[in-house]
Amino acid sequence: MNHPASTSMSTSSAQLRPQPWYRRMLSDGTTIIVAILAVLTVIFAATQADALSGSVLNDILNNSLPLALAAAGGTLVVLTRGFDLSVAGVVSLTNVLVAVYGGDGPWGALQGAAIAIAAGAAVGAINGYLVAYWNLQSIALTLASMIVCSGVTLLILDAPGGNVSDFMTYTLTDRIGGVVPAALVIAVVAYALWRILRRTDWGVGLYATGADEAAATLAGVPVKRVKLISYVLAGVCYGLAGFMLTAQTSTGTPNAGDPFLLLVFAAIALGGTSFAGGRGGVAGSMLGALTLTLLQKVLFSTGVSSFYTGIFQGVVMIAAVVVAVVFARIGSRGEALA
Amino acid sequence: MTQTPMTGGRPADTRDNAAAGGLFSRMDRDVRTAIALFVISFVLIAASRLLGPNFGSLAQMKAILVISSFLMVVAFGQQMVILLGGLDLSVASMMTLGGVLAFKWVGGSDMAVVWGVPAILLITAALGAVSGIGVSLVKIPPFIMTLAMGVILYGVTLGFTQGTPTGQPSAALSTLFANTAFGVPILYLMVAGTAACCFLQMRTGFGRKIYALGTNPTAAYVAALPVHRLTIAAYAISGASAGLAGILMLGYVRGVTLTLGQSYLLPSVAAVVIGGTSIVGGRGIYLGAAAGAVLLTTLSTIVASLGIAQGWRTIVYGAVIFVALVLLRDDLATLLKRGGSSRKKQP
Repeated sequence: MNHPASTSMSTSSAQLRPQPWYRRMLSDGTTIIVAILAVLTVIFAATQADALSGSVLNDILNNSLPLALAAAGGTLVVLTRGFDLSVAGVVSLTNVLVAVYGGDGPWGALQGAAIAIAAGAAVGAINGYLVAYWNLQSIALTLASMIVCSGVTLLILDAPGGNVSDFMTYTLTDRIGGVVPAALVIAVVAYALWRILRRTDWGVGLYATGADEAAATLAGVPVKRVKLISYVLAGVCYGLAGFMLTAQTSTGTPNAGDPFLLLVFAAIALGGTSFAGGRGGVAGSMLGALTLTLLQKVLFSTGVSSFYTGIFQGVVMIAAVVVAVVFARIGSRGEALA
Repeated sequence: MTQTPMTGGRPADTRDNAAAGGLFSRMDRDVRTAIALFVISFVLIAASRLLGPNFGSLAQMKAILVISSFLMVVAFGQQMVILLGGLDLSVASMMTLGGVLAFKWVGGSDMAVVWGVPAILLITAALGAVSGIGVSLVKIPPFIMTLAMGVILYGVTLGFTQGTPTGQPSAALSTLFANTAFGVPILYLMVAGTAACCFLQMRTGFGRKIYALGTNPTAAYVAALPVHRLTIAAYAISGASAGLAGILMLGYVRGVTLTLGQSYLLPSVAAVVIGGTSIVGGRGIYLGAAAGAVLLTTLSTIVASLGIAQGWRTIVYGAVIFVALVLLRDDLATLLKRGGSSRKKQP
């Protein structure tokens, strides 16, 4: 979890002098989210009898995978110091596309995934091109593209429906060989791809662009291309999220993506990625998504009245970030002196 | 960011741009954006005449302006926060809370307006200030602080009402929206309110300090500006204006629901950003946000009356926002001067 490249470029000078391990851990957002996750798991295990059984864990992973994938994509844009609101529209769009145009069996699922990825990449490319090369404000532009996407979604399917194959509904949400949840495998593969991509020129340029765009330009980072690629990859992630959401709900719903809008950003913030750009990573966001899903389960299992679950969710979100801020401050105390 | 330095958009330098050229190009860029948005709204309403005899009339224009008052009020607070480089995602819940409280306290008796409205404004301002304290003193990212605040407030409102808001509509508030011999009172209030908001931003010390803080927080801190107090004040204003919008909504709809404010969250941000305000803070004027609010309301009203499928309506709505963003991206005047070729040369 802990690697030098995940901290921002601006602090890299401080790393010339190695920091004590506890400082590094505290200043890394992922540590906090893992701690929160552990606390929630303990509460969950204490309040629900079969909490740690394979099928319950599989359910939780399945429920959080779409959000985790979407949050991973959103992180790529947030790292460039942008906002991508199109996530809600793209998830709805791909959910409906897969439900309507996906075929039977593994090949049908593959076809659905290809459609979802292509649609996501296309929206991402438009967003990225306009933000990077035309200097449009990302939040407003992606709001417009979210609205257009939800319009297209309604044209394809104006009421919940569609046809989702048994392969997607059962096999993709089951445990492979009865042991390893497919959702976990997909999440790990997505994370592994990110680890590889981060070592590429694009990955290095991504952090440089987010930390200081002017400096990155002067250093020869193709800032515009880096941004474009970020939005395209983000779109691909949203597409996959829509695909997995279809597998999980086994239906196409025209507004399926709406709840994703704010949850994605909540997951990203919980995962320790800075909205000021250049700081954070995909792992934290995916774990953040898992935390949000688990939190809902815990609120349910502890018997909190549904009227008040919102209050708890909000308080936990603030508490998590406060803890992260406090620890990051302790962790960075050494940096100021270095 | 990249777009700021060349046209220098702070409201104070309106006169600096007064070089040669036509009246339109002599105006400040932000004012031009606002006027362009008003013109686009007007053209949209006029063009809607093609849809049928009931459209494009003066009465419809008035109706649209009346409906846009809610978004204009929310957008003011949202803009104060965005000017600091923040974002207020709690406005939807705050607006619902304002409406629900007004329904409970102000409804029925006209005298209750006298104490009820200020009380609600104080409460929503205080709740906004809590977000401000979280953002400024505890250093919680605005996005997460206000998102959590919104979720919490929604839960509180839900628990407070036990799922169904109770109360009575307020006759006093409804008269604001009634047609009188002298026109609709809210329209005068909107003009006066817009003028007051513009004055607050451009001609008071508080307004200028907000721009200074939004442009460069470090410089503002070095210049001994009360950074924390300004931030808290901006979020408090946002809370109060969302609360006020909820109260006004009660007057217009004569009832409240728990989803009262939901459809105003994204439009409040969109109105501000379309109106030429930079999301990173420090530039943009209220006139632009008000014009953005009018444009978005015009658009949704007209699009809702188009005789086409819901999907196409949504696409048209999004596409017009998109076109507005592209058109207003650069200076509209220089765009026209260059005959539409729009690639901006980077220095």
